[in-house]
Amino acid sequence: MKSNNPLRQADPLTSQLRAAALFIAPLLLLIGLFILIPVIGTIIGSLFRDVAFLPRRFVGLANYGRLFSDDRFWQAVRFTLLFIAISVPLEIVLGLALALLMDADTPVRGLLRACVLIPWAIPAAISGRTWELIYNYSYGLANAIARWLHVSSDPVNWLGTSFGAFSAVIVADVWKTTPFVAIILLAGLQAIPKELYQQARVDRAGLFTAFWSITLPLSRPVVVVALLFRTIDGLRIFDLVYVLTHGGPGGSTTSVSLYAYEYFLTSDFGYGSAISIVLFLMALALSLVYVKVGRFGPQAQ
Amino acid sequence: MKDSTARNSLTYTGIVLALLFCLLPFIYMAAVSFSTRADFLTVETPFTFTLDNFRAVLTDTSLHFTAYFRNSMLISLVSAAICVAIASLAAYAITRLEFPGRMLLLFFALAVSMFPQIGIVGYLYKFMASVGWVNTPQALILPYIAWILPLSLWILVSYFSQIPRELDKAAFMDGCTYRQTLIRVILPVAAPGVFSVFLLSFIFAFNEFMFALMLTTNYKARTIPVGIALFQGLHGQTPWGNIMAASVITTLPVVILTLIFQRRIIGGLTSGALKG
Repeated sequence: MKSNNPLRQADPLTSQLRAAALFIAPLLLLIGLFILIPVIGTIIGSLFRDVAFLPRRFVGLANYGRLFSDDRFWQAVRFTLLFIAISVPLEIVLGLALALLMDADTPVRGLLRACVLIPWAIPAAISGRTWELIYNYSYGLANAIARWLHVSSDPVNWLGTSFGAFSAVIVADVWKTTPFVAIILLAGLQAIPKELYQQARVDRAGLFTAFWSITLPLSRPVVVVALLFRTIDGLRIFDLVYVLTHGGPGGSTTSVSLYAYEYFLTSDFGYGSAISIVLFLMALALSLVYVKVGRFGPQAQ
Repeated sequence: MKDSTARNSLTYTGIVLALLFCLLPFIYMAAVSFSTRADFLTVETPFTFTLDNFRAVLTDTSLHFTAYFRNSMLISLVSAAICVAIASLAAYAITRLEFPGRMLLLFFALAVSMFPQIGIVGYLYKFMASVGWVNTPQALILPYIAWILPLSLWILVSYFSQIPRELDKAAFMDGCTYRQTLIRVILPVAAPGVFSVFLLSFIFAFNEFMFALMLTTNYKARTIPVGIALFQGLHGQTPWGNIMAASVITTLPVVILTLIFQRRIIGGLTSGALKG
């Protein structure tokens, strides 16, 4: 141990390099073996016809070409994009409201923060099954509430119609991920100097004026972060639709991830890989848009 | 004056609504798990209390629930522990050592975590099948560590960079090596942050679904989320009482963890998110 010391003083850079290499090696090894190589394997795999009982054969971009005429693929893309287009804005708006509540100085602040975390912290598979029961046509909670409130006389067929199933997925996802958005936004709210609000009060600005002119513009960067996170995550949606709707009815809630999974399951590795790569490109394109809008948009003061 | 009354009533109405929205599904889950039948909400069948669902789930070995729970605990604890260790080493190197490509490494980690899981799982299955690891704990532990590492690294880098350099210098004066500085100085000082990362890693591993679905085939390695997702009745009737009892048992430790460590979890999440 002692012998290390003079070495560091004599040649600090070499010794630091050696130590650094040693310290980051495990990280690079694991990420390399279990993420990077699989990613490369998927990219290469998407260029092959790779199905059960037939010899593996290079087909170039044929798997990607096949996507264009695959109606079920486009249905999955439509569902996934519509899903993020509706769920993400809802989550941001509700998340901001929730963050304001969690930031408010009330005696139940700690309890509220803890309770809000719970939907986020439990496995999506468990909440998915709970929502499946809630949406049960004959005895679920959703239709029971609708009956008590006299909203509708006939029970709603939540999971049996495509509109019902879509709404069901949105509600369950908003329930699960709004807390995450709220927590990120809360950190942004806490970074806003309290003096600004005091000044607003001195200027006799109302609650909503203060919200519009202070809270909203100053939490813009953190809203962009939350948007980015939720969009990338929403594009990958898998657990919830797998458990809650099984992608149905009639494939109407099959996400791109779930669609690719069906091909992996039936051992069409090449086509499943091509679908996965397209999903990655979608995520990349959307995040580039956000980064551009987030950085070069009008800077609020 | 009027303003603050309006604010207060608005705040408290909002809090009640938020709590109701967050907790109602759990209340329903618990109610069904303690009920003799899942359809107690329909008027003809009033609620009757029973512990049978819990008894079945905990003692009926043919349901394999206890095996799923054991697998989940083992896989998540081991993954989280190794993940924290590896991420600490790397975060130390990034924040304390001079080497080219430090920022590149951080952004590499971020880029890697953007790749959708579905683009990994197919190849991963082939790989695990070729080494005969499908349906073993290590088939999940290794990918979980790799999958959670980027987030852990980002959070730890943000915690480590807040620790004053003077502490390291003092340790070097005393003749500590880099490894000793990390273990004796940095880790104790950053202990709360390291613990946050451990908690978050545990939660992520515990909740993971797609890898577990694809890489396990039965109760020998299957985790709780997949076990509960695939829980089916023998006679076509979904055994909702059993499923909800299993869900309550699985949710309980998570609820207790979040109630106790709410501050730690929020701290970890925000420092990871806001640096990015």
